Amino acid sequence: MTVRSRIKYLWPAWRRRQEREMREELESLTAIAGSRELGNLTLAMEEVRAGWGWPWLESIFADMRYSMRTLGRQPAFVTVAVLSLALAIGANSAIFSFADALLLRPLPVKNPGALYDVTSTTPDNPFEGMSFPDYRDLREKSRAFSGLAAYRLTTLAVAANPAAPARMCFANLVSDNYFPVVGVTPAGGRAFPADEKTAAAQPVAMVSYDFWQENYGGDGRAIGSGLRLNGVVFTIIGVAPASFTGLDRFIRPSVFVPLRMAQRLEGEAADPLEDRGSHNLVVKGRLHAGATLKSARAELAIIGAALEREYVKTNRGRHMTARTELRRRIQQSPQLLAAVRMLMGLVALILIMACSNVANLLLVRARARSREIAIRLSIGAGRRRVVRQLMTESLMLAMAGCGAGLFAAYGGIRLLETMSVPSDPPFVLGVQLDWRVAQFSLLAALASCLFFGLVPAWQTARTDFVSALKAGGEAASGRGRTFGRDILVAGQIALAMVVLIAAGMFLAGFRNMLVMPPEFRIDHLISMDTAPAVLHYSPEQTMAFYRQLVDRVRTMPGVAGVSITESLPLSPAQTVITVAPEAYQFPKGRETAIAFGAAVDAGYFKTLNVGITRGRAFTDDDRAGSRRVAIVNQQFAKTYWPNQEPIGKRIRLDSAAGPLAEVVGVAKTGHYLAVNEAPATFVYVPYEQNPRSRMTLIVQSVGDAGGLASPLRGAVRAIDANVPVFNLRPVATLYESRVTDTWLQFFQMVGTMGFIGLALATTGLYGLVAYTVSRRVKEFGIRVAIGASRRDVIWFVERRGLILAGVGIALGGALTAVAVPMLSAGFPGLGASSPVVYALVPLALLTVSAIASYVPARRAAGLDPLRALRNE
Amino acid sequence: MELLQGTLDMLVLRTLLAGPQHGYGVAKSIRSNSSEALDIEFGSLYPALKRLEAKGWIASGWKTSEHNRRAKYYRLTAAGRKHLVREHSKWADFVSTVARIMGPLPQVQK
Repeated sequence: MTVRSRIKYLWPAWRRRQEREMREELESLTAIAGSRELGNLTLAMEEVRAGWGWPWLESIFADMRYSMRTLGRQPAFVTVAVLSLALAIGANSAIFSFADALLLRPLPVKNPGALYDVTSTTPDNPFEGMSFPDYRDLREKSRAFSGLAAYRLTTLAVAANPAAPARMCFANLVSDNYFPVVGVTPAGGRAFPADEKTAAAQPVAMVSYDFWQENYGGDGRAIGSGLRLNGVVFTIIGVAPASFTGLDRFIRPSVFVPLRMAQRLEGEAADPLEDRGSHNLVVKGRLHAGATLKSARAELAIIGAALEREYVKTNRGRHMTARTELRRRIQQSPQLLAAVRMLMGLVALILIMACSNVANLLLVRARARSREIAIRLSIGAGRRRVVRQLMTESLMLAMAGCGAGLFAAYGGIRLLETMSVPSDPPFVLGVQLDWRVAQFSLLAALASCLFFGLVPAWQTARTDFVSALKAGGEAASGRGRTFGRDILVAGQIALAMVVLIAAGMFLAGFRNMLVMPPEFRIDHLISMDTAPAVLHYSPEQTMAFYRQLVDRVRTMPGVAGVSITESLPLSPAQTVITVAPEAYQFPKGRETAIAFGAAVDAGYFKTLNVGITRGRAFTDDDRAGSRRVAIVNQQFAKTYWPNQEPIGKRIRLDSAAGPLAEVVGVAKTGHYLAVNEAPATFVYVPYEQNPRSRMTLIVQSVGDAGGLASPLRGAVRAIDANVPVFNLRPVATLYESRVTDTWLQFFQMVGTMGFIGLALATTGLYGLVAYTVSRRVKEFGIRVAIGASRRDVIWFVERRGLILAGVGIALGGALTAVAVPMLSAGFPGLGASSPVVYALVPLALLTVSAIASYVPARRAAGLDPLRALRNE
Repeated sequence: MELLQGTLDMLVLRTLLAGPQHGYGVAKSIRSNSSEALDIEFGSLYPALKRLEAKGWIASGWKTSEHNRRAKYYRLTAAGRKHLVREHSKWADFVSTVARIMGPLPQVQK
């Protein structure tokens, strides 16, 4: 019989009707034949009812009802067990949601597993990307992919209506087939027309759901209305669904515009789509039903090689390949993988500790319940059946822990949400309590249920019921009886020690950050980004704008110095340039390298207080037309010209055939993207020789830097009111949020884990010692009766707790020796824990253990020997 | 005589082939058709009826009997008829096979 037709059996009304029918029928038959003739009708009815049942389901319900009753009788046990699990599962879920946001969450599209990242790289440049002509050729030739979509992330000055001021927003320039290939259907309106000609003729845009809600209040009339992007009026033709937040993590584009509009939006002379050398597109492909990643890679290799042969100049050494989204993320940010691994590893230790705690409690209960189990076994319950009953109890504990854990996780996630990268337009970390996190919690709960429930259940069911019944519920408690639990508790202490030492390392890292002098000035500085290019300024106009701005700001009251730079150190966006240092022998097949770089003006080194160790800083004479110069950092000099005089050496910029610039100075190596990065190479070039479209103004103030914010805004408005201003903030704010805040948050995370671990280990120890005391009441009674002093008894109990703690600390020491190098390897910048930490953690563990065992010890010492002996 | 395992369902279906009957009637029919050799307890017949009904091989409805008494009558459904045919041929095969092996009882040394 099918399950579907049996579903109705669960319906109480159906059962009632059947019951009524059956009774009526049997009554009528009794009237015909007489009750003697019909025999035992009660049994017959019972047999019929059994046929309606879902025997296994009903027995599970029965098990659950029974578990509820037994658990309900022990609220203290349930509270401790559920609380332990809730803390651990909560911590795990919160960290999982963090890991999910950083690395794991699949793309917000239909069937994300079938969408692969297609990219091209050269040995010279690990930053990958695809040029539009390459993409066009690939799309034409590829047979493995059913669709290939391309997009590029950019920022645009967006004005929701012609009257509103422009705001900088993230935008995606997308290929015409982007939405169909990615698998996203607009929530309103339509996606871009496949016909490129119409797309080029009419500027059309799609907006994100959030943008639509914020600016139009979700009004359907927004579709068809105008939107100003970089000064060009676009027509909104559709709204992306709320679930689709773009294909980049942390970034939620507000606007989607066809790639064809790139030239008009950026006001460039040449169409960037025709430049085979500008590899700035992200390409995603959906595989054909029959194709595999392997076959797609083979095809890409062939197409890439053909393009390389045809376009040697731009495609030399360029290798095309495809990979999964997860692989892409890991390759782009391996340090995130390290962080995620470390955090998940630590938090898994917490879960193991919580499980040991519950297992311990269950073992204690198992002893106490041996009589009950023995009775059940002796009246014929199978051991399997008993194990199932006990596992049901464990499962219910786990589920309660999971439910409460989700609340704990919610708290943790709220805390993680406060993590941010200061940026305008904002980055979104995207930690959230969603279905994936709930699933993870459930999985963690089920796994822990197996971990903590199975062994105690087996042990309980193994009860030798004859002796258990004879001993009257107090089965013999030899020394060997608590050995397994001793190990669990010692293990907990060991794990707590590892987590606490890790927390100590983060604390040390945090302290290092605090005391570490930043390699540049952060006080009395305010920075401001402007983007005149969005108004279609020509390069000359842009240069004039910045010259004017600097002059105007310099004369403002309260300004001690002013300078412009392409990027501020430690701001999340750093520029990478291609360089070919003269006389440096590259390995075969490579002829350029990449380095961080920035165009800066003459005042930069003084304003930001970046030390020049050799040679000179830029001067106002390093202008367009004069000899091209550059300043490298110490790391650059060390990498490319070891033990040589860097001054006077030359570097080719942008490509192996690019212009030559002479090194005139060496600057101190600083931190560029993160404080814990490995020393990186950096090249400064003079702004006047290398004009850029977007610059950051840095202003040194006499008084409070924040006070300059509105005068600076005013200065821009006075030159051109339409130039958007963003990222206006004191440099110290940026520095704090990039450096100290991050570390503080990591320390808080790991520190919280440490305390949860400590609490779990303490409860575990307390529980075990208290249990031992309660089992040995008689023994203590005798000891006191024959003259043991109060102090003797206390010490006797204490000793046990301290021995356990000692064993745990020794074990923890061994574990730490393994874990610490792993941690430091995965997390650069982690401070070596000071000897104080190494001394303090074991001491703290010992103290806490002593206190935890003192409570039951006092109880043991306070026993009245007469009553203790009578108790038996 | 004890029933062979699993033959009760078949007997019930076969009995209802003759026409609708109420539960006690089925028991009586089997008893009389076997010349009282098979004494089916109503208590075990009734659950079988309900089981067959749940499987859709028989259906039931209230009717008034010849003695003007209301009772629930069971009748064979089309699916039940098909099942009976299947079971019957299986049964026949089984009986003939067993008969072939057993043959007439040989002389057994006592």
